[in-house]
Amino acid sequence: MTEVDEESGHVEARGVALAFGRREIFRDLDCRFAKGRISVLMGGSGTGKSTLLRMIGGLQIPDVGSLRVAGQELVGLEEAQLKAMRGRLGMLFQNGALLDSMSVFENVALPLREHTSLSETEIAERVHGRLSAVGLSDIDELLPGELSGGMLRRAALARAIVMEPEILLCDEPFSGLDPPNVSRIEALLTHLNRDRGLTVIITSHHMATSLRMAHRILLLRNMGCVDGSPAQLASSRDSAIREFLGQDGAEYLAHHGHELEGAEG
Amino acid sequence: MQSNSNRDLAVGVFVLLGLGLIAYLSLQVGGLSLREPGGLVLFATFDDIGGLSPRSSVRVGGVKVGRVESIDLDEDLRARVRLNLARDLELSVDTAAAIRTSGLLGDQFVALEPGAEDELLVTGEDFAFTESAINLDKLIGSVVHGEGLGGGD
Amino acid sequence: MTRGLANLGAATLRQIEELGRMIRFGARIVMAASRPPFRWRAFMAAVYDSGVLSVALICAAGLTVGFVLGLQLYNTLVRFGAEDSLGTAVGLSLIRELGPVLTGLLVTGRAGSAITAEIGAMRTGQQLDGLRMMAIDPIHFVVMPRAMAIFFVLPLLSALFVSLGIFGAYLIGVELLGLDGGTFLASLEAAVEFDTDVLQSLVKSVVFGVLLALIATWRGYSCEPHSAGVSRATTSTVVTASIAILLADYLLTALWSL
Repeated sequence: MTEVDEESGHVEARGVALAFGRREIFRDLDCRFAKGRISVLMGGSGTGKSTLLRMIGGLQIPDVGSLRVAGQELVGLEEAQLKAMRGRLGMLFQNGALLDSMSVFENVALPLREHTSLSETEIAERVHGRLSAVGLSDIDELLPGELSGGMLRRAALARAIVMEPEILLCDEPFSGLDPPNVSRIEALLTHLNRDRGLTVIITSHHMATSLRMAHRILLLRNMGCVDGSPAQLASSRDSAIREFLGQDGAEYLAHHGHELEGAEG
Repeated sequence: MQSNSNRDLAVGVFVLLGLGLIAYLSLQVGGLSLREPGGLVLFATFDDIGGLSPRSSVRVGGVKVGRVESIDLDEDLRARVRLNLARDLELSVDTAAAIRTSGLLGDQFVALEPGAEDELLVTGEDFAFTESAINLDKLIGSVVHGEGLGGGD
Repeated sequence: MTRGLANLGAATLRQIEELGRMIRFGARIVMAASRPPFRWRAFMAAVYDSGVLSVALICAAGLTVGFVLGLQLYNTLVRFGAEDSLGTAVGLSLIRELGPVLTGLLVTGRAGSAITAEIGAMRTGQQLDGLRMMAIDPIHFVVMPRAMAIFFVLPLLSALFVSLGIFGAYLIGVELLGLDGGTFLASLEAAVEFDTDVLQSLVKSVVFGVLLALIATWRGYSCEPHSAGVSRATTSTVVTASIAILLADYLLTALWSL
């Protein structure tokens, strides 16, 4: 059972519909996110990228349809069952969502304190390991409010991976950052995916970065979704898709067009 | 951590202060005795209870020892007052119960004046000697007619 | 006409629904409080924020109210030659009514609104969702310690208010107007009873604490996740909690005199 599901996708939505009042977000959405891959969710604002991410995290329940995460059906679970499922997920929120009354160290240590019985030294070791993995040191005692945008995002990433999740959800990890920080986060996410086999699902507006790092791009539109490899999408005949990808898409195609034959086979 | 322990200290002082004040209001101001409820129930019958009411206090030598539980009329149409007193209170059988007023216009209370007998009153018994409330009109009348104030006893 | 009636009906239903949600929320707080571990550190921090930091305000307010009561009641009582009963009058009004009610209203403005704003900001900043994604129940982690702290500090602050009020009236009556100090205290202690007055005062402050804790945390937890939503929720806490406290005060006073 589990095996079949993993083949078809680590995360899989079927026939999902959701509306906020009269505003319809999804109608009969089908999509899947492959295990061990980086998938980027794209789409204009208001197409429900973040909402889909929140649904995968169980923070938003679809009106109808099925949503399976690591082989487990999410729809209809109680909060307590969702809790167990969330142990397999890490989520990086757009604004970091660190608790602003706690130091950076305490923020990253929080899941360990709550869910493990590690000793204080083991916790410090794990936290410092994660913080240095994201390139942060000597900021233990700082409060989140005292960090720059890029440091905050990286500290939040350290917290999201401290429990060694299988799936990492990132909501707009590049927005509002300067180019050096964008490439830093990109490198971190690519590493996590390559070294640990983490399934990474990202929402992003950042076209060039997304095309560069994604194994698969899911384009949300018309309350549904179109997906393909970056090269497939860039060479799509659908003018709306080409328009959405714009200049970055054309450039990507110019450099990577030759990969297309291999990918389609 | 330093600021944490300072904060805990402040919280500790605050909680102690608050509990202390609740205890002060309950015990000192509210007159809550930890020995209550009493248990020694005695009855006193008066011709006139004046403004005495349930919950009025009962005192010996000015010290509060209990309270009026209820007031009823007996078959002779006199006021029968039920007093609930501290359990360990030792009152001789010739103790007198009188209704007094604190100050000129203050609350009325039952004052007990211990007697000299060795035998003690037990629960359910009646006071043999009682003295009704001083009626202000009568009092003024008696002063006007030169009878003096001493006639109470 | 029918339309107006229908709107009224819809609004009433919405309010009842909202009340139902709030009560369910309260039940979740109680369940969270009974589920270990009890969050002592967060609770201590909340007692500090809501309690210790309110002490100065409560002292100042209690003392001032005591001054005013001392002066006003003295002026009234002296006409009947009953100024010796100043202690009785001050004590009963402070203990039965003014202490718990004014403390409730002051703590609503000082700490209740702050709790709504804090929880609302955490919701807006996705910190509550962040906790849920870490498999931590935000009601257990954020809401419960703050609600418990409000519930816990209100009787303590109320006792502080009453004591300082009595002290303030004592200063005015005895030191300024020349009443006898012993008479003042004697008339206070003779009139105030534990089970009618002090207990009533405690019960009131506990009930007000429950109301304020529930309203302040619920308004923050359920606010619309943007800054205008937080500010609306904060205002709504002050308005709703004040009215709830005044209404509950009336009901409790009426029940007590049955």
